[in-house]
Amino acid sequence: MTREVLGVAKTNLFSKIKDFIRSDAFIFLFPAIILIIVFFFIPIVVSVYMSFTPLKNWNIARYIHEFVGFENYWRFFYMVTHDPTVRPIFITTIVFILVTLAINVLGGLGLAIATFFMGEREAGSTQLLWLLPRMTPIAVYSMIWYYFFHGSAIGTLNSILMSLGIIHKPIDWGQSIIPWGPWLIIIFVNGLVGVSYGMIVFTSAISNIPKELVIAARVDGASNWSITKNILIPLLKWHIVYVTTWQMLSLLTTYDHIFLLVEWGLVNRYYGTTWALYIYNMAFTAAEKDLGLAAAAGVILVIVGAILGLLALKILGFDKMVKEPRGDI
Amino acid sequence: MTYYRALSKTAGIVIAIIIIIGIAAGAYYYLSQKPTTTTKLITFVPLTGDFNKDIINVGKALEHDGIKTVQLSVWSGGDPNSIMRIYGIVEAAYRINNIWKQNNINVEIKVSTRYVSNPNDVYEDYINKWSLGQAPDIMANGYTYIASLASEGYILDLTPYLNNYTSFLNQFYPTLINAMKWNGKIYGIPQDTEARPLYIRKDVAACAGLNLAGLADKIKNGQFTWSDLYKWALKVKESGCAPWGLIHRKGSAHPDLIQFIYAFGGKLYDEKTGKLVFDKAAVYKWFVVEKTFADHGLLPHDMMSWDWAKQIHPTVVDGKTLAFIGGTWHWFEWQTKAYYTDPKTGQQRPLTAEEVHKYFYYTLFPSGIKGKPGLTLSQPFAWMINSKAGEQNPDYDKLKDLYHELVFLVVVKASDPDIIAIHSLISGHLPVTKTAAELIKNQTWVNELKNLKIKLAPEVLNNIKNIIEKTVNPLNVQFLANVTYMLEYTTFTPKHPQYPKLASLFAEALDQVLRDKMTPAQAVNFIVEKINADPDLKKSVEIVGEIPQNWTFP
Repeated sequence: MTREVLGVAKTNLFSKIKDFIRSDAFIFLFPAIILIIVFFFIPIVVSVYMSFTPLKNWNIARYIHEFVGFENYWRFFYMVTHDPTVRPIFITTIVFILVTLAINVLGGLGLAIATFFMGEREAGSTQLLWLLPRMTPIAVYSMIWYYFFHGSAIGTLNSILMSLGIIHKPIDWGQSIIPWGPWLIIIFVNGLVGVSYGMIVFTSAISNIPKELVIAARVDGASNWSITKNILIPLLKWHIVYVTTWQMLSLLTTYDHIFLLVEWGLVNRYYGTTWALYIYNMAFTAAEKDLGLAAAAGVILVIVGAILGLLALKILGFDKMVKEPRGDI
Repeated sequence: MTYYRALSKTAGIVIAIIIIIGIAAGAYYYLSQKPTTTTKLITFVPLTGDFNKDIINVGKALEHDGIKTVQLSVWSGGDPNSIMRIYGIVEAAYRINNIWKQNNINVEIKVSTRYVSNPNDVYEDYINKWSLGQAPDIMANGYTYIASLASEGYILDLTPYLNNYTSFLNQFYPTLINAMKWNGKIYGIPQDTEARPLYIRKDVAACAGLNLAGLADKIKNGQFTWSDLYKWALKVKESGCAPWGLIHRKGSAHPDLIQFIYAFGGKLYDEKTGKLVFDKAAVYKWFVVEKTFADHGLLPHDMMSWDWAKQIHPTVVDGKTLAFIGGTWHWFEWQTKAYYTDPKTGQQRPLTAEEVHKYFYYTLFPSGIKGKPGLTLSQPFAWMINSKAGEQNPDYDKLKDLYHELVFLVVVKASDPDIIAIHSLISGHLPVTKTAAELIKNQTWVNELKNLKIKLAPEVLNNIKNIIEKTVNPLNVQFLANVTYMLEYTTFTPKHPQYPKLASLFAEALDQVLRDKMTPAQAVNFIVEKINADPDLKKSVEIVGEIPQNWTFP
């Protein structure tokens, strides 16, 4: 009986896969599936494998066949549970992700809507301006803000405030106002970069909203605010979910700008460091590149990211959005 | 019905011909790279220690094996004035090619180079690319990397080669050769070294009525310690001669500040156990000294995050501090970079050699203990040879040993006294051999160099002539000659793979102390906690000593 049930289930599964492969959906999804397999699935499998080896210094030939079981995971948890600096780093990560995410999503949405109501030329210039942080090389962009927030008189912000007579001596923004100073700096610097992503997605989505809806609303005397509230935002629901989830996962793993700001001493080492940077420093600060440990930490980060991603989709009501239409539309 | 028009016959023939020609050209190229001789390959030449004889024998062996060109690559990094770290190898290859030409040996070495500003990037790239066979044959980099590179088998053990080259080896200062060792074997040939003098502004000292006469000797003999320097700095501040008493480098893992540990009798490495040492007492004293300077406004609270080009160097060259813990290369850097604000024009410009000489007094790093000699710290660069050196050349599997011998001899040639001396004179690093140090004192040779009348490979001369014009002058020569004695008092940082982690903890803790976020005792305990939180570091570090209860400074 059980065998029969299993047999039926197997047949069902295989026939479902077969049907999927023969379907148009598969043809459309094929390039994306290949990309996911090559650039995500295979690296994950390799990372998981690496996390069970003592691989270091890229000496693949030497370490790839050695197995150390869960030692790298044990080392990771040992470091996390014994390190006195983990607490501020953990809090910083939560604050950084939540606030930067809000800036990225709301800022992107606000910009997209604002440029929708502008003339074509003004909208183009505004969007280009907001794309600059994204287009600027990381080191150059970080250097600009390094000098802007520098805690001495050479810092642009300090020199402006001093010349206006608002302050009389320079303020070490990232080092003396703990934790708000370093938090504000890393959030500001990353927020500016992230806003442009949301802006592009939302702008493109708005351009696909049928013009008739807006024109009809205008004819009925609707204000910009009421068009935004009643037409644009409801029709951007999908994109808001997408940008929020994407940006959250991206913020969880980002560390490049922050790395430079911490390394250059602009921000406090503990209240300026996020989880991803902490993991990077853990594995790569020594002359020995501890790739086994880095892989273990990376696998944990992927698991945390996946849980958070699913959680975000749940909270944002993704299930409801993908429900079959009721047929009464 | 078909939508595709078949290829015409002619087009088909043309494509077929192109394919055949392509295959034939590829095959010809491959075969031309293979030795054409049918006789037995010479895979090894016994080294005699006589360079000329050995290089001719190696050249003849290569010629016999059908090798016409040997491709080699060299990577290094550092300040722009230190490019002899790559051109030294280009020059050596040029000289070897000339020896072969004179002896009718039809083999040529061709060298490709890569030079970047950060030597650590070169190290990172080296280990990333080694497994792929894309790492360079020779790398000039800090000796501290020897431990991790040697333990992975990424660099060649040079001991067997050097056993035949004892007279060559004896030219180097013995402490430098010790620095090249790992597990008793030699993995590098010293390329350059440096000292880290304490610079004292002559004009600031004179303003505060401080007498510099004989100071270097007093520091050498341990009569003048950090307590005395503190009192001097206080006097400078109180008399309004300069806003700061002491300035030093910033950031993480810089060895300059590690000198404090040695100055207070501490150590960083235990030769017997092969472990790093965290000496609580010495580190505590170091932190107390810096905190005392900072608390009295003699050292900035945010010193560890000062900007190099906009704060540190301008403060030093504009005479806004009494002392600066720097390096020999800064003497040259101040002459090539515009850090100094000219009081007449208000414009920034480099100092002239005469001005650097006029403003700066230099001495060893003072001891922290009365009667204990002063010291300095060196981080020599080493020529390291890839354990797969020559891999991109034909028949590597069979001729591996011969290629390794050749690369070793190239490095031997790159250690010619004039190549070392030129590097020292243009970069401000100290010569690694006694013969090179003697050559620097030879006025005739220095003049020839200054007037570009020395014989060098055209490629090398073209790339360094601008630097020669700016840096080679009698005052700089005198400076190098005067600081060379410091090598007798030099110390080193450990060559342990985990050392950079420990060094970055020192920098982290010191930053907290200077900013008043931790007391020196809290900072020491913080480092202990951080060491114990990392299983690898815990395994690699011995924690010794206790925080002294009754120790006071000054």
